[in-house]
Amino acid sequence: MKIENTKAQMRKGVLEFCILSVLKDDDAYVAEILDTLKDAKLLVVEGTIYPLLTRLKNAGLLNYRWEESTSGPPRKYYGLTETGKLFLNELNTTWSELQNAVNIVTNQKTNKNE
Amino acid sequence: MNKTVNINLAGIFFHIDEDAYLKLQRYLEAIKRSFTDSQGRAEIIADIEARIAELFSERLINERQVIGNKEVDEVISIMGQPEDYLVDDEIFEDEPQSSSSQKEKSNKKLFRDTDNSYIGGVSAGLAHYFGIDAIWIRLIWILLVVGGFGTGILLYILLWILVPEAKTTAEKLMMTGEPVNISNIEKKIKDGFDSVSETVSGVAKNVSDSVSGAAKKVDIKKQGNKIKSSSRTFFDTLADVIMFFFKIIAKFIGLILILIGASTLIALIVGLFSLGAIDIIPGTDLVGIVNAGETPVWFASLLAFLAVGIPFFFLFYLGLRILITNLKSIGKVAKLSLLGLWLFSLIGIAIVSIREASEHAYNEHYIEKMPLETRAKDTLIVSFAENDYFKNPFYRHDAFKVASNPEGKKTIFSKDLRIQVKSTTDSVASIKIEKSADGRNYEKALDRAKNIEYSYAFNNKDLVLDAYYSTAISNKYCEQEVLITLYLPVESVVYFEKNTESFLNYRTHSNNIVTSNQVNHYLTIGSDNVICKTCETEKEEESFEVNVDMPQVKINDKGIEIKTGDKQILKIDENGINGEVETVRVKIDSTGINITSDEKNENQ
Repeated sequence: MKIENTKAQMRKGVLEFCILSVLKDDDAYVAEILDTLKDAKLLVVEGTIYPLLTRLKNAGLLNYRWEESTSGPPRKYYGLTETGKLFLNELNTTWSELQNAVNIVTNQKTNKNE
Repeated sequence: MNKTVNINLAGIFFHIDEDAYLKLQRYLEAIKRSFTDSQGRAEIIADIEARIAELFSERLINERQVIGNKEVDEVISIMGQPEDYLVDDEIFEDEPQSSSSQKEKSNKKLFRDTDNSYIGGVSAGLAHYFGIDAIWIRLIWILLVVGGFGTGILLYILLWILVPEAKTTAEKLMMTGEPVNISNIEKKIKDGFDSVSETVSGVAKNVSDSVSGAAKKVDIKKQGNKIKSSSRTFFDTLADVIMFFFKIIAKFIGLILILIGASTLIALIVGLFSLGAIDIIPGTDLVGIVNAGETPVWFASLLAFLAVGIPFFFLFYLGLRILITNLKSIGKVAKLSLLGLWLFSLIGIAIVSIREASEHAYNEHYIEKMPLETRAKDTLIVSFAENDYFKNPFYRHDAFKVASNPEGKKTIFSKDLRIQVKSTTDSVASIKIEKSADGRNYEKALDRAKNIEYSYAFNNKDLVLDAYYSTAISNKYCEQEVLITLYLPVESVVYFEKNTESFLNYRTHSNNIVTSNQVNHYLTIGSDNVICKTCETEKEEESFEVNVDMPQVKINDKGIEIKTGDKQILKIDENGINGEVETVRVKIDSTGINITSDEKNENQ
């Protein structure tokens, strides 16, 4: 078992959830999503996001519209679909549960250590 | 100064340096290969291209600026290496090990490697498959073709037809057994960008086909190209095949040249060392003994080595050049100095041989003549005495042998001696010993002849001759010979013992009157021949032949038959003796003697 794989598993699992969360309130184009994720240090390189976005879009959780850009090529603005919103809600619940569970488990460990 | 390329990235126009362009192209190609169509490759790539275009635009201050390596590197570092694009479902699997172990297994597949092919790439493919160098596979093919009566050719054609060609990068990776992953693909692309550029453009076309609606047009174009290219490939293949056979023949000749050259060189080197060693190892100085010219052996053998070895070295080199096209030249200086060395060795050999030949220029004889107390009516018994120090195995026709003499000194022994008998009118017999040898000049030859040691013993009527002569090793072996001539008075008797047979001539000539088939006989000397009393009877018996054929008496090889009138009186034949007179019959045969009389019977 490689630590890199485990880390990547963790991060990538959360990544989809995070992308959906970024798009929760406002539509955004890739650079904006990337900025947010990069600020949160969830993403090191940009490449990872493209296949994820395509996958989410193909799963019907996201849709996009084209918008002209002044500085570059036209931009794809991604937004959540209805299914996406439901999906995100469910993920939110799962995440809080998970967070809670992980907290309990890890805290117990540290308490014992003390 | 750099050449620039114009590109259209997501609908935006860019000037880009050529090398930067190639780098970007490789990068995009590697990414492209990490996705399958089912993942929505075209879309992902389009997104990525759009993002790259955006990043480029951010970096350009004005429209005249050109994208360089620096910008491409920056963009790549932002976007991440192709591996980072992997979203594969693999990573979400429970057991990542299983996937990685699968990768390690990396089942190799047999493909034809047309990039490294001679004919159809079968050998190269097999070489990849078995993980050995293609040359061995090719050698096996040659052996199969030569030794297997063409089964090799059949098998090759079969494999050519059946084994698919490795066309795509993935297939090429499978062929070599490398796991098909991004980094390998990218590596492969970097390794031979040109070789896969076709494939790349093919893929790019596919992508553009699915994206744009102009698929039809492209398809038609493609079909046309295909037809064109297939007819072209036929002639290309034909030419290739012909060229290939020329190549094969050339390579084969090269191989033969190498084999000949190498084996001769090895043989020469072994020979040089073993000959050169003769000087060092004591006791094996045969060569030194023959070598009357006194040229150092190591020098002579070195000359021979160079004279023969250098041409064979060039042969070997030529073979290598044919077989390995990119072989480094040994250089003009080396070639010329080898040539010089060769000429030098040739001249050296000429000088040495002249010296050696001149050693045989003069042949001188040294003659001793001694009386033997043998007169008419006396008998002389001639025999040869062997030497304990110088024994068998040794044949008369061996030139010489080196052995220690009684004093323990190394001596040359030889049986190169002959004996002849001549009739003389003198009253006393005599023996003449004629020693001869070759030499560079008269003195040298005579000296050698004199130095031949040869002795005999005469006692009353026995003449015991040495069966060999000897000479000191310093005299060298130089055609030394001893001729013994016995002058015997008429009417004397001579007897040659059996061991003299090989030293006698087998026929009479130039006054020699005794031949080798007359040994073991008492021979009486005539004026110009010998009279053999004991031999005569045999000879006459052989020539005697009687054949009487008369009505009453018949004598022939069947027997004797005597008749009186019609009646048989006596018959002697192979059955026995049968005699018959009127009243008595005598019969002697294998059963016994039977005498029958009319008066009384007597059995014995």
